[in-house]
Amino acid sequence: MSMNANEKPMLILKDIHKFYGNNEVLKGVSLEVRRGELVTFVGPSGCGKTTLLRLIGGFTDISAGDIILDGQRINDLPPNLRDTRICFQNYALFPHMTVAENVGYGLKINKWPKDKTAARVNELLEMVELSAYGDRMIDKLSGGQQQRVAFARALSLEPKVLLLDEPLSNLDANLRLVMREEIRKLQERLHITTVFVTHDQFEAMAISDRLVVMKDGRIEQVGSPIEIYEKPANEFIAAFVGYVNFMDGRVASLDEKTRDAVIDTEYGKIGITLEQVDINPGDDVLMVVRPESVNISLNCGSNRPNVLCGRLKSYMYAGSIAKCTVTIGDRTMIIDQYNPRDAQQFKHAEKVEVEIPRSVHLLKKKK
Amino acid sequence: MASAGLSVKLQSSSRSKVKDFLNANLINILAVVLFLLLAFFLLYPIVMVLIKSLRGPDGFTLQYYKAFFSKQYYFQSLYNTLLLGVINTVVCLVIGFCLAYMTTRGPWILRKPLKIISLVPLIAPPYLFALSLIILFGRNGLVTRMFDLHWQLYGFSGVVISQTLAFIPLAYMMIENTLMSLNPNLEESAYDMGASEATILRTITIPLLAPGLLKAGLLIFVMTIAEFGNAAILGGRTPFLAPDTYTMITGESDFNMGSVLSVVLIAPCILIFFIHNYLLEGKTFTTIGGKPVASEPRKITPLIKIPFIIITMVAAGAIFVCFAVVFVASFYKILGVTHNIILSNYLDFTSNQAIYNSIRVSFVAAVIGAVIGILLAYVIVRGKFFGRTFIEMASLSGFALPGTVLGIGYLLAFSAPPLKLTGGIMILALNCVFRFLAVGVEAGISKLHQIHIEIEEASADLGAGFLTTFTKIVLPIMFPAFIAGFIYTFMTAIISLSAVVFLVSPGFDLAAVKIFDAAIYGEIGLASATTMKLVLIVMICMMILNFISKKTRLGSGIATKPV
Amino acid sequence: MKRKFIAVVVAAIFSVVLAGSAMAEDVNAYMGTSPDNNVKIAKFIKDKTGITVNQTFQSCGEIEAKMKAEAPNFSAEMVIGACSPQGYLAKSSGWSVPYVSPAWKGVPELFMDPKGEFYHMATFSFVLVGNKDRLAKAGYKMPESWKDLLDPKWKGEIVMPSPLSSGTANMMRFTFLALYGDTEGWKFIEALDKNIHHYSRSGNAPTDLVGRGEFMLGITSDENVKKRLDDGYPLLWSIPKEGTGYDGTTSFIFKNTKKLEACKKIIDLLGTQEFSDLLASIGYVTPRPAKNALYGTTLPKFVNLDLGKAADEKAKNNDIWKQKLRTDFK
Repeated sequence: MSMNANEKPMLILKDIHKFYGNNEVLKGVSLEVRRGELVTFVGPSGCGKTTLLRLIGGFTDISAGDIILDGQRINDLPPNLRDTRICFQNYALFPHMTVAENVGYGLKINKWPKDKTAARVNELLEMVELSAYGDRMIDKLSGGQQQRVAFARALSLEPKVLLLDEPLSNLDANLRLVMREEIRKLQERLHITTVFVTHDQFEAMAISDRLVVMKDGRIEQVGSPIEIYEKPANEFIAAFVGYVNFMDGRVASLDEKTRDAVIDTEYGKIGITLEQVDINPGDDVLMVVRPESVNISLNCGSNRPNVLCGRLKSYMYAGSIAKCTVTIGDRTMIIDQYNPRDAQQFKHAEKVEVEIPRSVHLLKKKK
Repeated sequence: MASAGLSVKLQSSSRSKVKDFLNANLINILAVVLFLLLAFFLLYPIVMVLIKSLRGPDGFTLQYYKAFFSKQYYFQSLYNTLLLGVINTVVCLVIGFCLAYMTTRGPWILRKPLKIISLVPLIAPPYLFALSLIILFGRNGLVTRMFDLHWQLYGFSGVVISQTLAFIPLAYMMIENTLMSLNPNLEESAYDMGASEATILRTITIPLLAPGLLKAGLLIFVMTIAEFGNAAILGGRTPFLAPDTYTMITGESDFNMGSVLSVVLIAPCILIFFIHNYLLEGKTFTTIGGKPVASEPRKITPLIKIPFIIITMVAAGAIFVCFAVVFVASFYKILGVTHNIILSNYLDFTSNQAIYNSIRVSFVAAVIGAVIGILLAYVIVRGKFFGRTFIEMASLSGFALPGTVLGIGYLLAFSAPPLKLTGGIMILALNCVFRFLAVGVEAGISKLHQIHIEIEEASADLGAGFLTTFTKIVLPIMFPAFIAGFIYTFMTAIISLSAVVFLVSPGFDLAAVKIFDAAIYGEIGLASATTMKLVLIVMICMMILNFISKKTRLGSGIATKPV
Repeated sequence: MKRKFIAVVVAAIFSVVLAGSAMAEDVNAYMGTSPDNNVKIAKFIKDKTGITVNQTFQSCGEIEAKMKAEAPNFSAEMVIGACSPQGYLAKSSGWSVPYVSPAWKGVPELFMDPKGEFYHMATFSFVLVGNKDRLAKAGYKMPESWKDLLDPKWKGEIVMPSPLSSGTANMMRFTFLALYGDTEGWKFIEALDKNIHHYSRSGNAPTDLVGRGEFMLGITSDENVKKRLDDGYPLLWSIPKEGTGYDGTTSFIFKNTKKLEACKKIIDLLGTQEFSDLLASIGYVTPRPAKNALYGTTLPKFVNLDLGKAADEKAKNNDIWKQKLRTDFK
């Protein structure tokens, strides 16, 4: 997954605007996608991610802005003249054709000679491990197999950019996990620049090189999955990607050298190690506390730092993880307890202790 | 005391036994009753026609059939009819396809207006087009006079044109339905890979649409050959089966030959009905999961775009002109000949009387039809007895049968006691009921499919008897289907001509027949005015129907209109 | 609640609508003269006897069809103004009520059946009509002989009714057959067919079609000619030198009618001088001598006809007609 940062980006989106009538669905989107990168557009319904994908593919006209593919401005090119290929959510496989005919359709349209077509089709089928299925009709395939045929078809003309519109959304949960991995492996092997759209943030995090979190037609944040998860740029992103507990507070003190900081919260003082450089004492902040980062133990009373006392409201044991809800004061906190060995005791526990970790990401509250 | 108590208990247990029996079997009893009704008012008249075609004064004979197939005159009639059907079907499919393509994939600005004008002929009786053609191209026609044309309107071409215009909405609706269910992503994928619009059409769109197109074509064929008005008004000296049946019965009072013609006319209809409903069922390529999404306008190449636009514009223009012309003509005695604008056409007493009669008949038909439709739907969906498919088939078959045939059938079946109905309002109403039953039934069935049987089971579980469940749960939920069936039956009954032309009685004119008479007689102004009044009534009905189906998510399926 | 209300309203309207269709106490009649004349006659009957006649215009062929379909339980009480074949048919099938009306005393024999099974309240004929303006424009004159109609210059410009549906046309046909004999008669009809644009459904339609200028010539019933002349239509009419035919405007009472007395009253009225005056003012030739508005004092020359024979041969002639005459393909 090594990418030369100095390489020219494969895809550049410059200040893209899109209007449907008076409704602006993309409000100035800019992005650079590097070669070989898998970038995922993720966001709630209506954020514009699919529109953006279709814009790149050429199925929708751009209202303002530029799309540059491998150095060439492609705004006015129809889909077939752009070196992008799209794979739709419902696969859009031609039901009246066989697997081989589907995969070879693009080649046929572009007047490849028959033998070259057959060879390429075989190559592609092998790549997606469907070599034996060439003559099957589409409706005789399972969901996962159809997915792979759609993928193979999209790759048939060796596009520079592969556009995947929620390709896994129609599969059942288990299959999704398997296919997700396969797609990623294939993408890496082919080193093909890919733009992936999904509403499932976990999927996005699992396979992407970078995430593009969108909301209401704008890009909220672009970053690697780790960056997005651990250092969300705002409340929306923090809540969207994974589960989160928010705690209000104010920076009471900060030691510039050690980066030790104390946050005043309604529950008491919380000590954290502040890495962020844009936060100063006196700032009102929102603490982004992930459920799995909080330690939960039985019985209140220890006076250790960062420890709060609360009542265990619910405890849902699920084998490898127990999901707890703890009421502290008039707030509720969600805590994930991994490898819950004391489950039996927790089930009957009333009072519990939660320990807030020292490495918590802070969001500066707007005045 | 104890024994009295015991006997009371026994009595009530036998009463409750009856109740239980009824509860368990009410569906079956209902089914039997409905089946008898269908058999009586739909199958029996047809059988009578069949018998009449085979029975001469001396018993059963094939002589009439022999006469039919040997005499040049009848053969021509059959040939013309079939040819008309084929030409009409092809033309309607082409135009309908272009229209549907433009409204689903063409530029946004064209979509709504094209859709509206494609559907506009639905509110008019089919013979409106014959009328408009006469106004324009008749011997005193506007265009004829303006350009001193010598084109012969009366004859095959006139009938083809008027029938085509009349059935465009049918073709359009069915094709649009299929196009909408076609996943736009398919075409976009092909487009993505470099296929031109023409190639997409050729390799993707049309092959996938093929079953839908076939179904549409079959239906159009059947409706075209069965429709009476246009062929009768514009046929001139060219014989067609439907008007010939009419002349045979009402002119020559030759019921035997009339019945033979009817049987010949029915044969393709029934055949196609079977193919349409039972062989093609489920053969479409279902490609959409989830709701169909309006496809974005694509850049369609001029090679395709220009012919399509030309075709759609011509068709849309023709439809518009026809309506406009009839509207204008309603204010003149004879447009083009007399020159003063008058209102007397609208105020004409006998035609208003006829409209009033038509409303009465249609109203009665609508009530009965909607009720029977709902009951039939329930029996078909929930019943568990043998022969359910047969009942469904029977209730839908009214659609497939040419109106002329049912008209004659009713004349034969119900003119003698103890079944004497001729001469009254009921025979007209019942005829409409059973011809147009299909819509109420279909609406009921689709609505019932939305109600899971668990709802009824829950009701029963809570202690309600069958009747209670039916009246308190099922009927209220099916109410929209009842309304749909009611309005639709009303609308179609009021403009239908083919059957009622045989069944009108002295002093009881119907609007459709009045228009027909006036058109044939050359009283164009009167015919136009009466037609416009009918159009207005139908338009109001459609608006109510639209409003209700939007409110209750009834869904489409109320597609066709036989007359 | 709302739905119950709607259901009740619907049921109420339904019953009112149905009830309104119950026929009031009056007479249903199949009348075949012409839409205008039907109304006139019905009004006359109502004025003179108080009986309301319910009628819809039907051509003679349609009346015959209805009779055959409905026998022996007719939806009407009587027939007023059909053509003689219907009278003969009713008589021979036993569908009519023989009633010798005292009011018809003194009327010539040809106007009624001796047993009173049917009455001809008038006879009507057919004439040749032409459109004054169009003939003038083309520079043509009205033909003087029926044979003149065979001239190719009239191609597509003549309309006449179809004997398959119109009693008048039936009369025309049996007149030509009687005039020229069977073989020559059919030859004439076939030759004439080449010039006929189309055959109309009713016998009076050509009067209107020619009056409106859609065609130059028409062979039409004489029943509506006077009216159209009064209406101002530019019509010329004549009877070619060979003469014309005639047929009875036939009336009779259906057996099993429940309103026998009312029907008898109507038949009586039909035989009065007043009624003949009425019909004569329209242009009919009447049982009682009256001033004929169309012909004036000179009645047309009539071809010798046997109406009974004509009635018997109608079906056969229809068959020959269908076989011989061209119908267009496409």
